[in-house]
Amino acid sequence: MRVVVAEDLFLLRDGLARLLGAYDFEIAAAVDTAPALLRALLEQRPDVAVVDVRLPPSFADDGLRAALEARRQIPGLPVLLLSQYVEQLYARELLADQAGAVGYLLKDRVFNDDQFIDAIRAVAGGGTVMDPEVVTKLLGRRSRDEPITRLSVREQEVLELMAEGRSNTAIAQRLFVTEKAVSKHTTSIFSKLGLAASEDDNRRVLAVLAYLNS
Amino acid sequence: MPPHGAPGPVRATMVGMWILVKTVWNALARLLRHFGWGGLLPVVAAMGMALFGVLPWTVALVLLALIVAAWWPAVAADLLPVTMLLAGIWALMVAAVAGSVANWAVVSRSITFIGPQRLIKKPPGGPGKPTAVKGPGPVFIKGPPGPVTVKGGFGAQSAQNLQAVAGPRGRITVLPWTGTLHGPLFGGPGGPLKPGMPVQYSVARPVGGPIPVGHPGGLLPTGLLVPLALLLLALGLWLTPRAIARLRDRMPWLVPYLRRWAVENRWGVLLIPVTMFGLVVFGVRPWTVAAVLVAVIAAVRWPKVAADLVPVALVGFAAWGFAIASSWQSLAAGRNGHQAIYGAVQVSSPQMALLAGAEASVFLAFAAWLVPRTIGAHARTLLHPGPDPELAGRVQQLTETRGHAIDAATSELRRIERDLHDGAQARLVALGMNLRAVERMLPTSPQAALALVAEARETSSRALSDLRNLVRGIYPPVLADRGLGHAVQALALDTPLPVRVDVDLPGRLTAPVESACYFAVAEVLANAVRHSGASHVDIRMQHTDGTLRIEVCDDGIGGADQAKGTGLQGVERRLGTFDGIMAVSSPTGGPTMVVMEVPCALSSPKIFSS
Repeated sequence: MRVVVAEDLFLLRDGLARLLGAYDFEIAAAVDTAPALLRALLEQRPDVAVVDVRLPPSFADDGLRAALEARRQIPGLPVLLLSQYVEQLYARELLADQAGAVGYLLKDRVFNDDQFIDAIRAVAGGGTVMDPEVVTKLLGRRSRDEPITRLSVREQEVLELMAEGRSNTAIAQRLFVTEKAVSKHTTSIFSKLGLAASEDDNRRVLAVLAYLNS
Repeated sequence: MPPHGAPGPVRATMVGMWILVKTVWNALARLLRHFGWGGLLPVVAAMGMALFGVLPWTVALVLLALIVAAWWPAVAADLLPVTMLLAGIWALMVAAVAGSVANWAVVSRSITFIGPQRLIKKPPGGPGKPTAVKGPGPVFIKGPPGPVTVKGGFGAQSAQNLQAVAGPRGRITVLPWTGTLHGPLFGGPGGPLKPGMPVQYSVARPVGGPIPVGHPGGLLPTGLLVPLALLLLALGLWLTPRAIARLRDRMPWLVPYLRRWAVENRWGVLLIPVTMFGLVVFGVRPWTVAAVLVAVIAAVRWPKVAADLVPVALVGFAAWGFAIASSWQSLAAGRNGHQAIYGAVQVSSPQMALLAGAEASVFLAFAAWLVPRTIGAHARTLLHPGPDPELAGRVQQLTETRGHAIDAATSELRRIERDLHDGAQARLVALGMNLRAVERMLPTSPQAALALVAEARETSSRALSDLRNLVRGIYPPVLADRGLGHAVQALALDTPLPVRVDVDLPGRLTAPVESACYFAVAEVLANAVRHSGASHVDIRMQHTDGTLRIEVCDDGIGGADQAKGTGLQGVERRLGTFDGIMAVSSPTGGPTMVVMEVPCALSSPKIFSS
């Protein structure tokens, strides 16, 4: 699997490349500025890109903008953004095109390499991965919301994990329940929130995120 | 019901009265219900017609009042107490001078001072017959035109010609003295008329259409004037505090501004009442009215010049008062018209002349007291220009806001230091100790070492999380990335309330201003979430004419007080560093609106280059 890495700090860029290499990713390009990233994305068309939000030249959200621009030109180009902080505003912009194949995670998540690699693979496969912190904030905003308060505690847990982009299998493992139980919960959640149920994992995540974001 | 057994006509009258009162009462009640207190404005305006007669300008006033009451009832309600007070005072003044000379133009060049009067309905003895005038004082002749002969051995003369000049309603005053009298204060003849004494005539003619109350042409019976005036004053005084409270709610800046202006320019403002005094001394003439208008303009436009004119005008009045007091008799004889009225005093006797002199002395003393405060002060600043008070005020304001800024920066640094010390720093120490332990354990018990490594990873995660929160409090990332508009939008997204953000900012502000405004909005928004119980919040940001204006409105319970909340005070101080201001309108029951304005420049928008 070919991957482009964009990170301006040498140590982190090197670490990321080494980590990805250990999991049999092929590093198509490792860049340190936003213009270089955009060029690499458009020329290399990698299977997935791991991008730091803050990049030179202006050290603002240049990485995010470059990724968005690349996805505008190549719709659905898988991009996983890493940042020292997560903002709902940026999450919204990433999700706006409804194309999936995006991820938005805190840099700390790299520490847990198994989960991190899973996330990269999910994004490369067209899935949507949101940092738990984003999901918590989304849920916090809807805390006064009628339908959400009608969910049971377990259903809320399932909703959170679903919004983070996890599959039924992953949720079942995480909550130590059977997949059947999870799918029962998801059906219940979808009917309580008035969402059209979908078997497709990715469309399901997007529906949940769109609901929380509205 | 009228008393039983009352005679028919009386009973009919009482029933009629009852119906009239009830009709008027019903009409008023309906008016009040429909238009509020403002509905009374045309009624008060109609007083003008009652006082001055049906004239173009009184009719125009009533029409204007009707329009205001119908279209802007709130404005009408605000104007009502003022107009009531003015009408009441005016009516009282008219009542006081009714029958005096204010509305009479002197045709002959002699005085028409009114002393004790005797009204002669018709020339006694009929036309052509001599009229005997007894005793001193002016004689008031009123009635159909006809020859009036003043006789009595003191220069008999036909008044027919004079009456022709005066018109049918004119009056002729016969004074028992000549204009050539001298003597300082109490001199001059006077006393009973004696045969052979010269007599001077004064002929006055009514001017300007209908004559005030009590005279033919006025619409209001004199008897009703004083009760009506008192009613208006009482109502006006009762309504004034309400109108002021409403005004304060609607324009919170107005009252403090007016108060400050009035205190700063108090001597200049004094010119208005002083020139108004001229109306009393010299009568309502074009030039006295013009003087009052000029005084109002001067007090507003050139308060310093107006202040300097106050003692000058007062000295002039004092001089005039002394002149009247010293030679009231000769003046009364008619050199300068009817100017023997001086303020509250009608000089017709030696005692009154003494009073007028005392009044003039008070004016002179007041003028002397004012000179060092007005002319003297201005001359001093001209001769020895000290520090410009405006500049001095600015320096003080800058000193204050600089102090606040330094305090804020210091406490902010202390907070950061504490957070780092207790948070990330402590965790890094723990991390180091953990790693050292791993080092020691690795050769002997790799399993335990592995558990420690997992713990170390957890600790580094916590340290990062601490640092993240700290950074967000110092300078929010979105603010750094995208500027104020996006940062406030991000803030709105993180707020557990529906917040609508409406931004019109075609560029970036300087970083310090952006930061101050961001934290100001954050504080106000946090207040709305914590205390207001609002169901939603509106934020508007707009940059026009070099000023950033931010409005934060919520539909909560209100009652936010700038003076009480330390948060709002902090916001005000934060903005004060940039000459920004904040106004809070939060009546009990809501809604709350916080307006912040910061003068600042807008740089061109940052364009992403790829």
